[in-house]
Parts: sequence; C-alpha cells; structure tokens
Amino acid sequence: MRYTSKLRLIEALEINAQRHASGARPYRSSLVCGFMPLHLSDLFRAHLNLAFQDRDVLVETGLYGDLSGNIERALESQPDSVAIVLEWQDLDSRLGVRQLGGWTPDAAEDIVAGVAKVLDRLGSLISERPRHGTVVICPPTLPLPPFSHEPGWQAGLSELSLRSNMSSFLTRVALVKNVRIASSSAIDKISPLADRFDIQSEIGVGFPYKTLHADAVAQILALGIRNAAPRKGLITDLDDTVWRGILGEVGADGVHWDLSNKAHLHGLYQQFLMALAARGVLIAVVSKNDPALVEQAFAREDLALKRANIFPIEAGWGRKSEAVNRVLKSWNIGAESVIFVDDSPMELEEVKSVYPEIETRVFPTRDPAAAWKLILDLQDQFGKAEVREEDRLRLSSLRNANLFEASTAGGGAQGPSEDSFLSEAEAVITIDTRRDAVTSRALELINKTNQFNLNGKRITEAEWDTLLADPAAFLQVVSYQDKYGPLGNIAVLAGRAEGSVLRVVCWVMSCRAFSRRIEFQCLRMLFEHLNATEIELDHQATPRNHLVKDFLSTLAGEINGGPVRLDRTSFEERCPVLSHKVNIR
Amino acid sequence: MNEIDSRLTRCFQAVFPKLSVASVPTASVDTVAGWDSVAVVQLLNLVSEEFGIETDWEQAEEMTSYPAIRKMIADHISIS
Repeated sequence: MRYTSKLRLIEALEINAQRHASGARPYRSSLVCGFMPLHLSDLFRAHLNLAFQDRDVLVETGLYGDLSGNIERALESQPDSVAIVLEWQDLDSRLGVRQLGGWTPDAAEDIVAGVAKVLDRLGSLISERPRHGTVVICPPTLPLPPFSHEPGWQAGLSELSLRSNMSSFLTRVALVKNVRIASSSAIDKISPLADRFDIQSEIGVGFPYKTLHADAVAQILALGIRNAAPRKGLITDLDDTVWRGILGEVGADGVHWDLSNKAHLHGLYQQFLMALAARGVLIAVVSKNDPALVEQAFAREDLALKRANIFPIEAGWGRKSEAVNRVLKSWNIGAESVIFVDDSPMELEEVKSVYPEIETRVFPTRDPAAAWKLILDLQDQFGKAEVREEDRLRLSSLRNANLFEASTAGGGAQGPSEDSFLSEAEAVITIDTRRDAVTSRALELINKTNQFNLNGKRITEAEWDTLLADPAAFLQVVSYQDKYGPLGNIAVLAGRAEGSVLRVVCWVMSCRAFSRRIEFQCLRMLFEHLNATEIELDHQATPRNHLVKDFLSTLAGEINGGPVRLDRTSFEERCPVLSHKVNIR
Repeated sequence: MNEIDSRLTRCFQAVFPKLSVASVPTASVDTVAGWDSVAVVQLLNLVSEEFGIETDWEQAEEMTSYPAIRKMIADHISIS
C-alpha cells in the first residue's frame, strides 16, 4: 500500500511529542470507538502526523462504552476528520467478553435484532448529520465470540445475518459525501486474524487489540484520511512485459499473452492497463523496437490493451530516458507522478539515473506470484475514490491539447495569427459559481496541481467547507470545450469578497488548459460577475509555479514572490482579445 | 547506565516527555504529574513491546514507580 510504515508504540509517542513541540499548525481528528482507545489513539495520531508533515495532529477521543454518543459528539464538534472504529462488542456487549450477557440461542436472536437497530441508528446519524471533513469507518476486525450454536467452522444464520446487516450499513454510508470505508481485505493483508485479539488486555483494561493490530488499524485509518493523490501516468515496456517474447526476433504474430502459450501473466497485465486507462490514467509505451513493427503488433485484434488507449508510443533505439523525457513533455506532468515498468533492471536504472523522482517497477516475467503482487501494488498507486468525467476525457483531451499546441506553434506564439486561431476554436467556457459545484473534483485539482497554482497551498476537505461556508466567499469551477473536444473541469478559483475588492486565496488550472487564455477570462468574469474594482491574489512563489508569476507579470508588471493587486482598468488595458463564449451558472 | 535502565528510561520519557533523565530513576505516582491509570497502561505496553514481556494486568496496580517496574523486568529476564 502507498505510505505504509509500521510503528512501534515508543516511536509513535516520540513522533507525537516532537511534532507537538515544533509548534506546527494544529489538525484535529476525532477517534471514535466504544472501547478504551489507549495506544490505538497514540498510534493513529502518529500515523496522521507522518501523513501530514506540516501539521500537529491532535486526536480527541470519547467515552468508554458509548459508541453512538461518541459518533454524535464527534460529528457535532466538526473536527478536520473523524475515524470510527466499529467492533461487534460495541454494537452489543454480548458480542464481547467484558460483560456476561449470555450466549444462549434466544440471546443470539435478540443480539442479531439489536445490532440491526443500532446499525440503522448509526446509519442515520452519519447520513443525516451535517458535517465537514472526512469520515473513515473501519469495519469490525475482531472475531465473533461463540454466541451461536454452530461449530466454529460453520457460518450459521446468526453470524451471516450480523455480517449482512453490517454490509448493508457500510454500503449505505459509503454513499455519503466524504465518507470512506476501510477495506477489511487491506487489514487482513497486514494483520493476521489470529493475532488481533488480546483477551487479557480487554478484560484487564478494556482495550481489545494486540499492539501490532492496533498499529495496523491506525495505519489504515490514516491512509483513508490522508487519501493521497494517485499517480497520473504509467509508462510501460513491451517485450517480456506487455507480451511474452522479443518482437524484433519473432515478429508481430510471434509474441503472446495467452494461456495456451503460457503467457497469461502478460494478458492480465494488459487487462489491468486497460482498466487504468478507462479510469483516466495515462498509459505510454517506451520500447527499444522498430516503430513499424510495434504498430503491426498493436494492429492485432486479440490484444487486451488497445492502441487507442496508449499515448504516446515511443519506439526506437535511443536511450529510454530520452523517450521518457518525450512522454513527460507530451503529458505535461512531472516525473514524480509517473511509474515506469520494464522487465529489465538495467533500463529501469538508466531511467532512474536521469529521473530520480520517477517510481520504477520491474516486470517479473517468469514469476506469476510477483507479477500479481505488482498488479496489486499498481492498484494502490493509481487507485482513486471516484472516477469522474474529466478522468474519462483525459486521454482524448491530451491528444487534442497536443494537436492544439501543434496548430498554435505553426502560427507563432504571439500576434494576430494566435488571435485568429483562438477566435476560430469555437471555445466555450462554463463557470460554475455555486458553492457545491463539483466539490470533490475542485479539491482534487487544488491539491494535485503544481504548475498553474497560485500559491501551492493544500487544503483539507474541512478547510474547503469552512472557506465556502463564509457568506462572503466566491467560487469559480471552470470547464472548457472547443472544436477539438471537451477538457472537462480544468480550473478552480476561490476567495472572499470585501466590498468591491476580491481576495483570491486559491487558484489552480490544469496544464491541459494552457494557451487558451482561460486564465484571463477567469479574471474578467470575476471583475464583471462580482462587480469588483480590484482583485488581490494571494500569490506565493513555489519551486513549480513560475507560470503563474509569468502570467501575473503580463498584467501587473514585474512582481516578486508575494501577493499581487490588479485593478480593473489596468486589467482591461493589458488583457488580450478573448474569443470564448462564456456561460455562468 | 546499563542497558535495561537505558531502554526503560526511554520508555518513561516517551510517556512523560517533561521528565528529565536524572529524574527517571526516582519517578513514581507520587512525584510525576500525569501518572494516572492511562499512563500506567502506556508504560506497561511500552515495556511489553521493548522487553518482550507479556503484560500481567493483575500486577498493574503494583507498578507505581520506576524501581517497581525495573524489578519486574529484571525478574522476568532472570527467569527467562
């Protein structure tokens, strides 16, 4: 899994003490459970401190034995995030060992009915209580006690009913905005079932977990809250990676990826790459091969990975790092967002020597178990909570962007030819100013964009909700399309109005949208729509956002790394011709 | 400071960050602010993790000072 580091309890306490002493900005998280949180709380706090390196995490806990009350209070207190840990004993104490409530057949029926009611209530609490910030729920991780009459190897109706009700509850709350459910399979991978329950600790102090299991639960909760941005692109080799065999030696019909040729691993890998492409991950090929032969191979209809889902294909005989360079330029993304997969450790090393920030993975051609592990690892690297329309559009909009760039390059960078080119692009900009406008996409853009980013500040869901709750707040979520195709939502701009002065606190734009003067239109619409006389932009220079400084310099003259003020008159004098049709919602 | 003391001191300072190294050997429920039942649980879990000793919660009430905890560790090591 991405970001996973086991912590010993002493390490967790030391991390927490050091971070608190550093005076970093606080981050509040509520840890909700029905048992004594004890060192689960310390480990959770430490994992969150590791996840949010510039924050001092403070974890609030609740009352012993009051799960639903703790959930209610946590949601009301509006922390930055809430982590809810469910164990069976907290839904009915007869499913634990600290109280002697009875395990007779009658009790089993009553337990099932009682747990269903509790889950229904919890579902309503979580669905209906307004909140901001992320909620992560960890389903029960401990085994059930012997409360039903079946032998241990049999899942009886009582157990099945409990699990079915739990599953329905989790499905219900998973549909709620900002609620994420921790995967039981993920916990199974890092914490063996037999090593989780500490009966002595549970009876002695009301804490049911062995320390290693507490760390596993804490890790998963922190992963869910952090929700790291997925990687954006995968670059793959071909020979003995996408297919078994060396294309140049055996020809397009001689490479295989099927069961009968004992090459099914490669078929699975292709299928997975297709799935990534469908989710909006960019897939490119870098291969030492004859380009014409590669195109012949991709003309085969039995390929699971289709040619149309790959852009670009860099086939040739030069250094792979040079080909990777061309791919990164086509994609216009940084190497740190990319994974390179090749069966040759030497090629991986060569690329890594030029791009140390690129992640590399060796494709284990002869080792099915290792190949399966690789696919699961890639799932973690590229997985995302939602697949949006922008994701589906990404490849086509990238191809269109390259076509657009080629067209503008032909006419020269400035001057009448660019004006006339843009005027013929049939561009339509839609600016959504509604407070609930596509919030998750807006937040993703703010937290993933580096180049056109006003100040590089990252915002949590809770901070975003707080910003937009201000009556003086304004928001633009910008989508774009032209005759080359739609780009989807490509810019977000937000801030506060103070009379006729607008203070812009965040502004990002996707690199796919450059060279279309969208940024100028955003500012013009702010002046016009909000009747502003002045815009103050909270600009701060970062190592990656020089494009913003260059853009602002065209409007405000030479600027240093700090805030920039633009008045309406000066803006209109310096703004180039804008040919977009603009729709405001 | 021998190895047990060095490792046990680290445990104490993790639970009581304001405790100086010099104060650790005489630390007790009577002298350390914040020495409550939760702190004892934390200490005993750290000791369990650090020294590989299974925590006997029935003994927890007797673990009221550094010397008491140190003796428990030394007894366990000498038995094993």
